[in-house]
Amino acid sequence: MANNNLKAKQQAFKEFSTKEKTKKITDLLLNNAMYIIIILAVIYVSIKVPAFLKLPSIVNVISLTAAKLPIALGIGGCIVLTGTDISAGRVVGLTACISASLLTTTYKVFPSMTSAPPIILVLLLVIVTGGLVGLVNGFSVAKFKLHPFIVTLSTQLIVYGIILMYLMRGTNNGQTLSGLTEEYRSLITGTLFSIPTATGSVAVPKYVLYSIILVAVMWVIWNKTTFGKNMFAVGSNEEAANVSGVNVSKTIMMVFILAGMMYAITGFLDGARIASANANTGLNYECDAIAACVIGGVSFVGGIGRISGIVVGVLLLQIIFTGLNFLAVDANMLYIIKGLIILIACAIDMRKYLVKK
Amino acid sequence: MKKKIALLLVAAMTVASLAACGNKETETPATAEAQTEEAAPVEEEAASTEEEASTEEEAPAEAAVEGTVSVFYYTYGDTYISSVRSALDSAFDAAGVAYQDYDSNNSQTTQTEQIDTAIAQGTSLLVVNQVDTGSDDTTKNIIEKATAAGIPVVFFNRSVSEDVVTAYDKAVFVGTDYEMAGHMQGEMIGQYLVENYDTVDLNGDGVISYVMFKGQEGNAEADARTQYGVEDADKILKEAGKEALSFYDSNNSDKYLVDKDGAWSAAAATEYLQTAMSQYSEANNNMIELVIANNDEMAIGSVTALQNAGYNKEDGSATVIPVFGVDATDAAKDAINKGTMIGTIKQDAEGMANTIAQIAQNFMSGADKFADVDSANVVGTWRVNIPYATYTGE
Repeated sequence: MANNNLKAKQQAFKEFSTKEKTKKITDLLLNNAMYIIIILAVIYVSIKVPAFLKLPSIVNVISLTAAKLPIALGIGGCIVLTGTDISAGRVVGLTACISASLLTTTYKVFPSMTSAPPIILVLLLVIVTGGLVGLVNGFSVAKFKLHPFIVTLSTQLIVYGIILMYLMRGTNNGQTLSGLTEEYRSLITGTLFSIPTATGSVAVPKYVLYSIILVAVMWVIWNKTTFGKNMFAVGSNEEAANVSGVNVSKTIMMVFILAGMMYAITGFLDGARIASANANTGLNYECDAIAACVIGGVSFVGGIGRISGIVVGVLLLQIIFTGLNFLAVDANMLYIIKGLIILIACAIDMRKYLVKK
Repeated sequence: MKKKIALLLVAAMTVASLAACGNKETETPATAEAQTEEAAPVEEEAASTEEEASTEEEAPAEAAVEGTVSVFYYTYGDTYISSVRSALDSAFDAAGVAYQDYDSNNSQTTQTEQIDTAIAQGTSLLVVNQVDTGSDDTTKNIIEKATAAGIPVVFFNRSVSEDVVTAYDKAVFVGTDYEMAGHMQGEMIGQYLVENYDTVDLNGDGVISYVMFKGQEGNAEADARTQYGVEDADKILKEAGKEALSFYDSNNSDKYLVDKDGAWSAAAATEYLQTAMSQYSEANNNMIELVIANNDEMAIGSVTALQNAGYNKEDGSATVIPVFGVDATDAAKDAINKGTMIGTIKQDAEGMANTIAQIAQNFMSGADKFADVDSANVVGTWRVNIPYATYTGE
């Protein structure tokens, strides 16, 4: 059956004129440009530095990708709505600070505390905190009809102020929070499983699993729920969605709340992963997350985007960064290369959109 | 239903904004709106630390001097600067000097505008932690503003150049000899290595391979620490007849890894080291044997990466890769006392704060500007150096 299908396609392809053929091939290449760039990058780096394709390096890239996925998954929804969210990094910072201040052995922010609260309680608390910021964002976008950029610019500042005040609490005096409990750290960075190699073994950290779960959950939300379908409907045409009975305000609010929750989870994971949290934690995280989404084909045009695209985007950025690090490329070049990748990705994305029109 | 949600939200936002703007019993002039959102926490924080002190302050203020001091911090996000801020706040409280803090949020534009606002409000002294360290023009600009208003300026922490400061007799700089931190870190590393050479040299090849984490490009302190941290260690190693340090990645001609965001952050160090260790490990017989970081944030970030890879455990059960930082933050001191980090260089936040407070009072009471300042630390007529100290545990 599939074979027949393929043959039919081949037959159809043969019938095209040469000009059409070249066009088809360029289309194919351009539409998969990101995958092609990934493969070329991997091949190039691994020829130069063979260790890049060894198991420890692969596990490293995967775990760094996993650490950066949740925030990108959250921000993706905001981009689908033709919006953005620049408060993401600060929410990560706030929730990392809350996690690190509660799940600690030093009790500097709350000097009257004598033991750390249950981890699950702290996780719920930070998710609610992130959700609240998301609610404020979503509410302002939906009800006051403000552009998400302005709304999240404001909440970014507000959240930063709250972080600074929070770090000044108790006897902490604005210092970095550390001294986390062993349970918290091992829950996040503990070994999920070890892969034996010729010269020892490589441990995969547990947060990789959590990221995979989050990807699965987000995939279901985006593709299998009414909310997900409404989100795309609102993203492609708000008026049309409204006319066809979609509750636009509710959908916008829910997208931002969900995004806030994802940032909170990122903060919760990052608190333990970096094992220290301060006012700088999360700074500029949203830039990489937005870049990853755009590279992965989540379009600022609205209503277009896939979870798989976001995963590919985050992975591509991580492969490039790690690869450049392996090649010992000058740090200044990193900015230029990153900028070029985002520019090219957006250009290809817009091209697809223009063709559709 | 929707209306209720709306009401709740509006109520919540009002409460939040009230909390942020509350506590105005400090001498904050009414035009606080001009100072951007970041200034709000200042008042909150200053007010809370001042609660006990405020009673004396409102009393006839026996020794207190007239006028308000305006203090501009380059960012509230910096851990060390936060220590200076709380020490300086309490030093001013103790002396009964009225003050107002500003967060320049890492932007020289913001800071310059804040200075304009403060001068317009009639402040009697500027205490400036300049954002852009490389720029004499910025310093000149600030001094011109102060000259025009006829008020003194005390620069602190981030370095400003001599000829600019000496041009105005009411300007001083309270800083550290910033190159000293790098020199002292290098010496500390050299001495530690000479004493523990064979333990540190994991693969026994007679050469210690190291990684250097730089906080930021284009920052004089980061440059000096990156250079001297290694150079001075090499000098001591050579005197002891050992090989010089070797950067773990021979292809990297910079011989350092720099935080891309210039934030001297723990996260950058964790991720760099994790990536490096995926290629360089004991299994491959080329493990990184020494970590040098420009500050304690990055040192702590390295310790985290090492711990995740099974090194530097708190219970002492695993190999310890020596990690060195600068700043002596609380987190780093904890780590050193637990044995997961080896040493750091202490910047004396309290010493700096007390010196600034003393000089401010001298200016305001018309005494000699360096009266009651430890004369051993005074350099010429323009600066005071707060000495560094090594910290390797209690």
